[in-house]
Amino acid sequence: MTPTVLVLAETSGGLLTGPTKEAIGVARTLAGSDGSVAAVTMGGPSALEALASFGLKEVWMADVPPEAATSGAVAALAAHAADESRAALVLLGGTTFGRDVTGRLAVRWGAAAATGVTEVAITGPEEVHVRRPVYGGRATESRRLVGPRTVIALRPHAFAEAAASAGTPTVHALDRSVIPVTEGAARRRSLAPAEPGSGPSLSDATIVVSGGRGMRAAENFHLIEELAQSLGAAVGASRAVTDAGWRPTSFQVGQTGRAVSPQLYIAVGISGAIQHVVGMVSSRTIVAINTDPSAPIFKVADYGLVGDALTILPALTREVRKVRGLPAN
Amino acid sequence: MEIVVLIKPIPEAESRLRATPDGRGPEPEGIKFVLAGYDESAVEQALLLKESLPGSSVHAVSFGPARCEETLRAAIALGADRATWVEGPPEGSDDPVLAARALAATLQTVPHDLVLGGKQAGDDEEGIVPGAIAELLGIPSFGYVTDLRSSGPSGLTFLRPTEAGVEQWEAPLPCVVGLQQAWNDPRSAKLPNILKSRKAPILKVDWPTTSTALALEAKPRSIGEKFELPAPRTGAKMIEFKTPEEAAEKLVRLLREEAKVFP
Ligand SMILES: Cc1cc2nc3c(=O)[nH]c(=O)nc-3n(C[C@H](O)[C@H](O)[C@H](O)COP(=O)(O)OP(=O)(O)OC[C@H]3O[C@@H](n4cnc5c(N)ncnc54)[C@H](O)[C@@H]3O)c2cc1C
Repeated sequence: MTPTVLVLAETSGGLLTGPTKEAIGVARTLAGSDGSVAAVTMGGPSALEALASFGLKEVWMADVPPEAATSGAVAALAAHAADESRAALVLLGGTTFGRDVTGRLAVRWGAAAATGVTEVAITGPEEVHVRRPVYGGRATESRRLVGPRTVIALRPHAFAEAAASAGTPTVHALDRSVIPVTEGAARRRSLAPAEPGSGPSLSDATIVVSGGRGMRAAENFHLIEELAQSLGAAVGASRAVTDAGWRPTSFQVGQTGRAVSPQLYIAVGISGAIQHVVGMVSSRTIVAINTDPSAPIFKVADYGLVGDALTILPALTREVRKVRGLPAN
Repeated sequence: MEIVVLIKPIPEAESRLRATPDGRGPEPEGIKFVLAGYDESAVEQALLLKESLPGSSVHAVSFGPARCEETLRAAIALGADRATWVEGPPEGSDDPVLAARALAATLQTVPHDLVLGGKQAGDDEEGIVPGAIAELLGIPSFGYVTDLRSSGPSGLTFLRPTEAGVEQWEAPLPCVVGLQQAWNDPRSAKLPNILKSRKAPILKVDWPTTSTALALEAKPRSIGEKFELPAPRTGAKMIEFKTPEEAAEKLVRLLREEAKVFP
């Protein structure tokens, strides 16, 4: 079997995004020594340069400005590239963009599809097996995808990024006339770039530090942010905090907020109500800091500290900065 | 505006999940299925739009087994004007592309200016259905949307938080929108409306009709093989300390050396 695996490549500032490099890494493994890895990009010539440094043999390229890159336009171009490259499998990074395109591309190209995938294997001529977390990470399922074509969006951070390897790809221009006319009326009007110092977003972060009512007052919440900053972590909150208006609802973790599954989740002054726990229980390692030794959060945590967050947090931030070699502040 | 809102019954948050005896999927027996999560937000958004645009109506549509009816009644109790249950195959299927095909076959026959859904279902979290439906209907789609507003009779504006920042979009109708937003307090149904919803008519599109329309595409191509639950957590290792400094030092050491999650 010599499958061609096509990666839908995304760039940011002329460089491949992390999730795209992860997809290229997975594609190389799946294609093996006799298969091949190709890419399709909407990023034009600057993306091409980035792709060349990852040893891709063939690249299908369109130059679609981000203002017009709707999921419908991208799916149409990607399906066209998938046909031309005779791909059996299209891989996408697990970004907002990648996941948004998956369903459309599956229909457009006549493929089986899955998203949020953490393991993938080609198990037969028309069969791919995937594993993926479900129910906010409370369970994991294995699925069999059948048929000659498959589209898969990977879960971010689940795979290692491909290493660079030089090459000169053959470039094929994609014909923009495949984009349905109905896509023309949608327009991205603006992009407010994420603030450089604002840290990772909750759903991307590998570490999350969350504060609850146990922080006592809005004025103390900066202690959570300082610990998060020292760890390169995102900041989360319980609903008690967002309801009290200490932080906006976009910070809320739980049933009615975000579900997160970082490598490390630090819950500070959070009691561990079920509605909070369902949003973070699938984190790999959980630390709880709470004055009440019988708080339910200690039942789901891996490490527990019984004590006052207001005194422990500054010490913890100092220790983290020291160990990571960051200047004390 | 004719608003269609797509909903799926999902286990309530407190449910104790387990696998079916053959281990292939989640056991529905003994689970309470509810309207929740992003779908509940979608219903709230549909009702807000309806209230802001006189003459609009909200049509709740659900694909799957018979339990869809109860979830549709929950949407009616909240204020949906009508409801359609698109029956799934008798042997069950959780292939999201098949669900999208079945839903699109029905949507082709009903008015739809805006098709609203959650960005993903609260159980399988695939997020495939909204885009797949839009492709089948030949209209634009936008996932991960927040702050959806109507901009006159034929358009929408909304925000979309992505890795690069927050995008602001303008989109034409008809289109499909997958909502990211989760309201803390979506409205709850009033008792008289709950009682009324029990007798409300629900239109049923039976599986033979759908399966005939889908022909060769009526077979699932994504099939659950195994459903696994993690070993239950056994409770925290409690760290003893006398001073905050000692607590900090011990915790950092454990995160580095034992859990190996220190950055
Ligand atoms: C339908 C519904 C949906 C919900 N959705 C969510 C959701 O998405 N997310 C969410 O978080 N909640 C949600 N909730 C609310 C949830 O039930 C809890 O009320 C909430 O999580 C409590 O927040 P908390 O742990 O910060 O506050 P509390 O429960 O008040 O706990 C505060 C904790 O801080 C500890 N503490 C006090 N002082 C200190 C100190 N100085 N140092 C250290 N610890 C201290 C206390 O011992 C206590 O354990 C929902 C509830 C409902 C009914």
